[in-house]
Amino acid sequence: MRKLISLILALALILSLCSFAQADDLPTITIMFHGSNVSDDTAVLEAVNEYIADKVGAKLEVIWGTWGDFDEKAVNALVSGDTGLDMVFTCSWSADEYNSFAKQGYFLKLDDLIEQYGADLKAAIPESLMQAATIEGAEGKGIYAVNGFKDTATQNTWDVNVTLLNELGYTVDDIKGKGFFGFGEIFAKAKEVKGDSFYPFLIEPMVLERMVTNSIIIAGDAGSTNLLSCYLNPDDVSAEGAYGNKILNKFATPEYKAFVEKVHEYYEAGYIDPALAVAETSNDARTNAQKTGDYLIGTQSYAYGYEFSADVLARGVEVQFVPCTEPYVDTTASQGAMMAITTASEHPEESFKFLALLNSDPYLMTLMNYGVEGIHYTKNADGLIEFNTDARATYSPWTNGMGNVTILPDTVAEGAGFREAFKAYYAGAKAIPSLGFVFDNTDVANEMAQLGNVAAQYALALDCGATDPATELPKFLDALEGAGMQKYLDAANAQLEAYLAK
Amino acid sequence: MTTVAKAGKKRSAALNQFSTGTQAGFHVVLGLFALLCIIPFIFVIVISFSSENSIRQIGYSFTPIEWSTQAYDYTFQLGDQLWRSYFNSFLITIVGTALAVAITVLYAYPLYRKDYSYRGFFNFLSFFTMIFGGGLVPTFVICKSVLGLSDNYAALIVPALFSPFSVIIMRTFFQTTVPGELIEAATIDGSGEYSTLIRIVLPIVTPGIATITLLYAIGYWNEWFLSLLYINKNMEIIPLQYLLMRMQRNADFLAKNSAMLGADASKAAMALPSQSLKMALVVFIVLPIACAYPFFQRFVVAGLTVGSVKG
Repeated sequence: MRKLISLILALALILSLCSFAQADDLPTITIMFHGSNVSDDTAVLEAVNEYIADKVGAKLEVIWGTWGDFDEKAVNALVSGDTGLDMVFTCSWSADEYNSFAKQGYFLKLDDLIEQYGADLKAAIPESLMQAATIEGAEGKGIYAVNGFKDTATQNTWDVNVTLLNELGYTVDDIKGKGFFGFGEIFAKAKEVKGDSFYPFLIEPMVLERMVTNSIIIAGDAGSTNLLSCYLNPDDVSAEGAYGNKILNKFATPEYKAFVEKVHEYYEAGYIDPALAVAETSNDARTNAQKTGDYLIGTQSYAYGYEFSADVLARGVEVQFVPCTEPYVDTTASQGAMMAITTASEHPEESFKFLALLNSDPYLMTLMNYGVEGIHYTKNADGLIEFNTDARATYSPWTNGMGNVTILPDTVAEGAGFREAFKAYYAGAKAIPSLGFVFDNTDVANEMAQLGNVAAQYALALDCGATDPATELPKFLDALEGAGMQKYLDAANAQLEAYLAK
Repeated sequence: MTTVAKAGKKRSAALNQFSTGTQAGFHVVLGLFALLCIIPFIFVIVISFSSENSIRQIGYSFTPIEWSTQAYDYTFQLGDQLWRSYFNSFLITIVGTALAVAITVLYAYPLYRKDYSYRGFFNFLSFFTMIFGGGLVPTFVICKSVLGLSDNYAALIVPALFSPFSVIIMRTFFQTTVPGELIEAATIDGSGEYSTLIRIVLPIVTPGIATITLLYAIGYWNEWFLSLLYINKNMEIIPLQYLLMRMQRNADFLAKNSAMLGADASKAAMALPSQSLKMALVVFIVLPIACAYPFFQRFVVAGLTVGSVKG
């Protein structure tokens, strides 16, 4: 009797499991984004799943990675071969760095899938972005991620508080004319007018260094403190710079010396907030000063349309971004936000179909990025997007991290015609001579770790002017030399030469 | 007669008392120590009531130029998520601690019993994991793929259920406070194994249990890393600590990568919650556990003075 009952119960269990499987026969695909601020995605996912059921043949689930969590979550899932993750954000600066993770075999080679299902995708994304994603991976040369169409060029600008500048009797032309080495006079005036506790020069020290010396980031170099650089030709970014196509220790150049000496002079004169020289306080200090418009000249790594973004408009002063050079396409910017399919994925085809659709279908892209019409936003008479602030606060994914942002509709803040201008702006951007070069640091990983530590100790304070370059710079260079800078540099140059020869 | 008694009283008082000077000295030293412990917390409370404007202008200060309850207003606007996370913190801590203490006691008790044959092996089994861990990725694979600890409360409780360190504390506590004769006496009196453990041994070791309960409770209460690892989609079950930690980690990430991320980093940094909000959340987190301390302290202090076999 007991056996019979247990048999019946077991059968009931199996049957109920079967019925579950039948009710829900679409496979589930999971995507992990970066930089999200999403606490309620119910309405959006409902609409998305309804829309993609036929087109993709799968159900979507989303892991909303945040700035602080993404690196850990993504690397864990990838390295452990988690089958619950089908698509994951990747790029040249995240922990699941595109080039190295593709080489180690964590990302699926997409060329066949693109051939089969990617016609719309190819039409929606410029050829140059496909090129930028074509790398030497675990299964040979090919495309290992769908490259997002966003601000694909780098451009550093002076972030100018025009309201205050005019008050002091200067114009934006003076900023252009004087340049970094001539700002002293304007700062002195600002200090005189606004009082001693006012810091006119609001800098992101690492960005300032690039702006002044015209150095660029080498993809594959040590994370947040770069050691290497190629030098740009500021007048024509597609031509070779002063040192040709050679990678240099960026701290050992005369340009760097001149830069740190000048910035130290500014720091000593009280033009730069000391809080900016400490990594832990720098972001808060900078954000606070920006929020209140409490600065004269700042530094900004610029993306077209940044002046229309809500936070710039909220500063309460007129802001203008004055470029140092024209925008240039480098490897870092052209691999700035991508979406890869994991090799552990059990549904690569559906995943790819979804990515292709996301990057080519304005409806889906808008839905995923801006939310549901009527809940998260409304369209005004001109067809511009007006966000519903409350609902938007619970659903704000990172737009640029999702894919093709050029198929999104314009918002009220951006104004009509914004996307067209955006596309034109970046379509005209020139490529630097070494575009596509990625430094493979596997052979010198130990040196890189040591050099990174040395740079973390000295670079920020020097770039901010907080320490005296006369004594600190030689110490810094000696420490780099001792940590194996020459070997690191030689490895990078050998690879660059081989790359350019191809 | 009365004078003698008085003298006797005086002498006994003097025996148990330090001189006034020494006492004053102790009071000052311990008072300073207590201040050192409580000042940071008072500071956090003050900051949580400072206005954002004040923090912007003069930084953290005990005397902000402007007071405000803005941070708390904002915290309450977090609404559902805040209270749900708060509830989760309590749930995880209570359930987790209860289970963990039960498991630890039941594991440590046989290790203390000299008549248990496999003591050496099980001692080693638990001790070994203190020295050699599996590493993050293998642990992650086991927990997520094999045990299915993902997006559920179990994922926040099970991985921290067993701490070899607590087992050692508990075992040592058994060894020092429960003499073997007591168990023998109980057996002779006809007590079975379970009743010996529950009715004879456990009442003696309550201070030990209180100690490991406190350790586990603090461990569970402060736990956020498990949420980061195992909670991906079901954000409704994250504890308050992770909510706070996520804000902190976002800020750290943006500070570190602002030079690489460009305009996006500036935009994101603008959207970060204010300093005072973070401190308000710290207050929410610290209060309950600070209130729990005195309760446990009673047992811990009792443990120093009480034994089972007197004389």
